[in-house]
Formats: sequence, C-alpha cells, structure tokens
Amino acid sequence: MSTDQTTSMRRKPRLGAVLWLAFLIFAFAFPYLVDRPKFWIPNIGIKSIWLGVVAMSLVFLNRYVGLLSLAQMTIAGISAYGAGFVIVKMDGPIMMAIPIGLLVGTLAGFLIALVAVRTKAIYFLMITLAIGQVVYSFASQSIEVTNARRGLAPIKREDVGFMHFTELHIFYYVALIVAIGCYVLCRYIAATSFGLALQGIKDSPERMSALGYNVNRYRIAAMTFSSFIASVGGIIMVFDRAQVDPDVVALPATLDILIVAVVGGIGSLSGVFFGALVLTLLDNFSQNLTERYMTLTGLVFIAVLLFAPAGLAGIGKQLSALFARLKGPTIQDAAEADPPQTSPAATAEDAQETQDELSKGSQR
Amino acid sequence: MRQSSLALNVTGLSKSFGGLHAMKSMDLQIQDGERISMIGTNGAGKSTFFNLLAGVFPATTGRIELFGEDVTTLSTAKRAKKGLARTFQTSSLFEQLTAAENVFIALGGVEFNGASLRLALPSSKNILVENRWSRVERLLERVALGDQGSTMVANLSHGEQRQLELAMALALQPKLLMLDEPAAGFSPAERAHLVKILRELPQEITLLLIEHDMDIALATANRVVVMHDGEKILEGSPQEVRSSARVREIYLGGSLDDVA
Ligand SMILES: Nc1ncnc2c1ncn2[C@@H]1O[C@H](COP(=O)(O)OP(=O)(O)O)[C@@H](O)[C@H]1O
Ligand SMILES: [Mg+2]
Repeated sequence: MSTDQTTSMRRKPRLGAVLWLAFLIFAFAFPYLVDRPKFWIPNIGIKSIWLGVVAMSLVFLNRYVGLLSLAQMTIAGISAYGAGFVIVKMDGPIMMAIPIGLLVGTLAGFLIALVAVRTKAIYFLMITLAIGQVVYSFASQSIEVTNARRGLAPIKREDVGFMHFTELHIFYYVALIVAIGCYVLCRYIAATSFGLALQGIKDSPERMSALGYNVNRYRIAAMTFSSFIASVGGIIMVFDRAQVDPDVVALPATLDILIVAVVGGIGSLSGVFFGALVLTLLDNFSQNLTERYMTLTGLVFIAVLLFAPAGLAGIGKQLSALFARLKGPTIQDAAEADPPQTSPAATAEDAQETQDELSKGSQR
Repeated sequence: MRQSSLALNVTGLSKSFGGLHAMKSMDLQIQDGERISMIGTNGAGKSTFFNLLAGVFPATTGRIELFGEDVTTLSTAKRAKKGLARTFQTSSLFEQLTAAENVFIALGGVEFNGASLRLALPSSKNILVENRWSRVERLLERVALGDQGSTMVANLSHGEQRQLELAMALALQPKLLMLDEPAAGFSPAERAHLVKILRELPQEITLLLIEHDMDIALATANRVVVMHDGEKILEGSPQEVRSSARVREIYLGGSLDDVA
C-alpha cells in the first residue's frame, strides 16, 4: 500500500469518530437525561466510569505491551483500601487519603510486576490471578488493617475548597474528566519513545533484547504505569461505594473487569466505557428480566465474542466496512476493515481529537 | 596473535536441546574487521551458533569472548551494548509499526534513551527526537528504503523487510555484525544490491554472515566456515572451500551453488 493511501484512509471522516463524539456528549449530558439522578448517577454513571478506568489499565497493558493481567482490579482495590484506611482508621482528610491511595496502589502494582514479569502468556495470567487471591484472603482476614469481612466504612466524600464533592453532579463530572485525563495520558505514553519501545516488545521481545533493550525493565515500568491508572479507578470506586470490603478484590470483581474490557473491545482504550455501561445496565436491570444475572451477562459476553470480536468499539468499523461492501467492494475497503491503529502518528492525532472533543464537550 | 585484536573468540562451545546436540564443541576465532561466511546444510547448527553468540539461550558448555571480554553469561541486551548486532533468519520486525518507526526503536536500545517520555513524532520540536528521526532517514536511505519510511512493515515486500532488518542492525553502530541469511528469497537485483551494501560497510565492522548464495559468500568474505551436523568441518578461503572433496561429498556432488 502506498503512503498517500494510508493518509487518505486516516483523513476520511469515520463513522467511529462520529459515534465517539455522540457518546462523549451523552456522557456530559447524562446527569440531566435520567429520571432518578440519585440512582442513575452513582449506580450507572460513576460505576461505569471507574469500571472503565480499571479496564482501561488492562487494555493498555494488553494492547501496547501484549500482557494480559488479571491483577488490575486487585490493584484498584488496594488503592481503595489505602484511601479507606487513611479516612477510617486514621481519621485523615480526603486530600491526604487520595494521594496515599494512589501511591499504595501503584507501589503494589510495581511489586506485583517484579514477581510476574518473568512469566509469559498463560503463566502471567495465572500468577496475576493468584496474587489477586492472596490479596483477597488477606483483605477478608486482617482485622487491624482491613476490618476483615466488615470492611472499611463509612468513607464519605467531603467538600474540598470550592469543589463540592458532596454534590453528586460535581463528583460525577470530576470522575468523568479524570477518566478522560487517564485516556489522554495512556495515548500520550503510547506515542512517546517509551511507548514505541513497549509496542516493539509486544511484537518481538527477542528482537528488542537484541537491540539492547532490557525488556523486563520496560515491562515493569509499563505495569507500574498501568497500576497507577487502575489506582485512579480504585479511588473513584471507593468514594462511589462509600466503603471498601473484600468483595472489591474478589474473583467476580476481577472477572467483571475482564468482561468490560472484552465487551468494549480488548484493543480499544476508550471502548471500555461502552463495555462498562453495558455491564452496569445488565447488573442493575437484569433482575427485572431474569433471576439469572450471571447467565445473562455470560450470554452477552459470548454474543460479543461471536459477532463483534473487536468489541463494541469495533462495531463502528464493522458497520463502515459493511456499508462499503454494499456500495461495491474495492481493495481499499478491504484494507479499511482493519486499519492498523498503533502508528504513533495516528495515536497522537486521535489524542488531539479527543482533546478537541473534550474542550467542545465542556463548553456545552 | 594478540588477544585484543580478536573480535570474537569462541572455545568449546556446545548446545543440546534435550537429546539433540545442535552444536558440538565449536571453536572459532575472528579478527577485528574480518569478513566471514558460514555455510552448511539446513539443520547444521548455524542459527543456533548465532543465537548462542547473541545470548538468546545459554550455552551448554564453552566460552564466548567478545572483543577480548568474556560474555558467556551476559544477557542479550548487554551483548548488544558491547557492539554485537544481529538479524534474524525469520523476519521479526514490528509488524504494526511503520518502517521508520522500526528503525527509530532500533536507535533507542543502545545509543539513545529509549525510555524517553517525549513524543516520538517526526514533527516533534525536541532536538534529540529530531536528530534521531534524521538518523532514521539516513539509515533507510542506506538500505534503499528512503521512500518507504511511512509504510507499515506488513505492507513491505519480503525483500524490503530484509533490507529493513539490515537497517535496524546498522542502527546499533555495531562492531560485530551477524546476518542470518540476509538474501533468502531475494531477486538477483536485490542480491546485487545487498552485496554492494555489504562491501560498503566500514572496514572496522567485523562481519559474520550465514549465506545460501555462494556468490554472495565469495564476494563478501575473506574466510568461509563450513558447518555440518553441529560441527565445523572446514575453514578456509572461498577457493579452498569450493575445491574441497569433503564438502562435495557431504553435498553428494551437487553444485556448491546450492549449498545452504
Ligand atoms: N530452540 C530450539 N529448540 C529445539 N531444537 C532446536 C532449537 N533451535 C534449533 N534446534 C535444532 O537444532 C538443529 C540446528 O538448527 P539450526 O541452528 O536452526 O540450523 P541451521 O540454521 O544451520 O539451518 C536443528 O535440528 C533444529 O531443529
Ligand atoms: Mg538457520
């Protein structure tokens, strides 16, 4: 394929971009669209945001480093426990609880990385899962640190200066902007020299060592960064739930993150928010339809794997490809069905797009 | 022979995969700036030898000295930093990135700080990043890929991918360059071009080449090493190897041009 063909492919207004803009506008209008804000904002809105942020940390590792980590919810939980400990056990202010939570979560992620980094593929997955189980059993047994099964509660939001966190709307918008910030940060990191090296490691670790890169050190750095993102999700979670108990680091919570990532599209950093929305909606409303919430979630999961393997984020592309095919197939359309997305040029462009969309969104 | 003038000194090197002795007690000395070709039938252990030198897997026995320094237990990355660059027999490029990005990454391992958190865009205003991109351009031109920089690797032809491999190895500014069948699948024109590139390499670069094509081996090497069954069976000038009865016997009298 020639170079100008690649650029012309990128310039074309994509159905996907339009869908994203619509979703972003929807996200900003959300608190005013729902009939019972006291239910919708925390249970659907903010929960989708933190599920999405934690899942984004998983997708970052998978897309740019080629690692599938099941410890991301565990790390988020540790950061939530860190913040909860400061507030409940030390009676500290939330402006102290938040940075300590982030620090504890990121540090935990770094230590997990040290243990897990030497393993590969299925072993990496198993070891991150096993570490999660260790953390769970500690959380549910330690009276002094985690209050065992009862958990740490209450964790109330406080107003900080002019930020009225006690106000549900304010909390929602802060969480939304933080989540978008996490997204932009991930895209930025991916477009740096460091991010390029990570993508090289994903494609061919052997070659990266032959080029003089210390592959493990890069993997540890990437896992530590993604732990920071997961910790941000954990902080939003702890204030959304107003408490932290062993359930947040239990296996079902870990599986939720995996489902969100896969339903959103495991290669898409922003698709996770679609996935998270689907999961929270199912979680809250499937009881009305069926007693078997897990069965329904499982069926949705399977349907996505079968019919939209690139997840909901890939559906825009699938539709464009379908339209193009109806109009008559060309070679270029075939190429567009899966445009390579990891070029840093595209990455930065998209990050810029997001920033533009973001500023447009906040003006509304 | 002074120890310090040896680029490579391999003694008693062996490697077993389970019961398979892929390399049996190999000895090889290469002087600084020498051009060596290694030939041998498929499965002779040539790629295994490269992998041992590069540190992809540990040696079962033996010792590897690189520029007078024992590197037998050093990691691959550390050996690369000592001036060892290699290409792979099967292409292992970064498929989802462009040709230029591949070389950009190659420049980051040894010489520049690959961990930099500055945007790695060609339009970047940072002097270090700019400098690195202009070096990418020069390296691509050197292997005749000057106009392919923004092409995704997956869209490059086979020949172009092999040329890109070479550019990435050269990006390390190696003192010892090891190429594993760089001309495999090349057209005659591409072969001629490769020979030209190899001949134009600075004299101080030591070259160790695994090559199918006897013409390329002859045109670029001052010494040929013949491998068979994990052993070195002959070492000599290209003319000596061509006329060796032992080599002919192993290849069943087939034309030496077919020797892999
Ligand atoms: N990683 C490995 N694991 C097991 N066997 C291997 C491995 N690498 C090479 N071999 C075996 O070692 C022998 C030599 O292979 P190789 O060095 O690739 O030969 P050549 O490059 O000369 O064609 C072959 O029998 C091959 O199957
Ligand atoms: Mg080989």
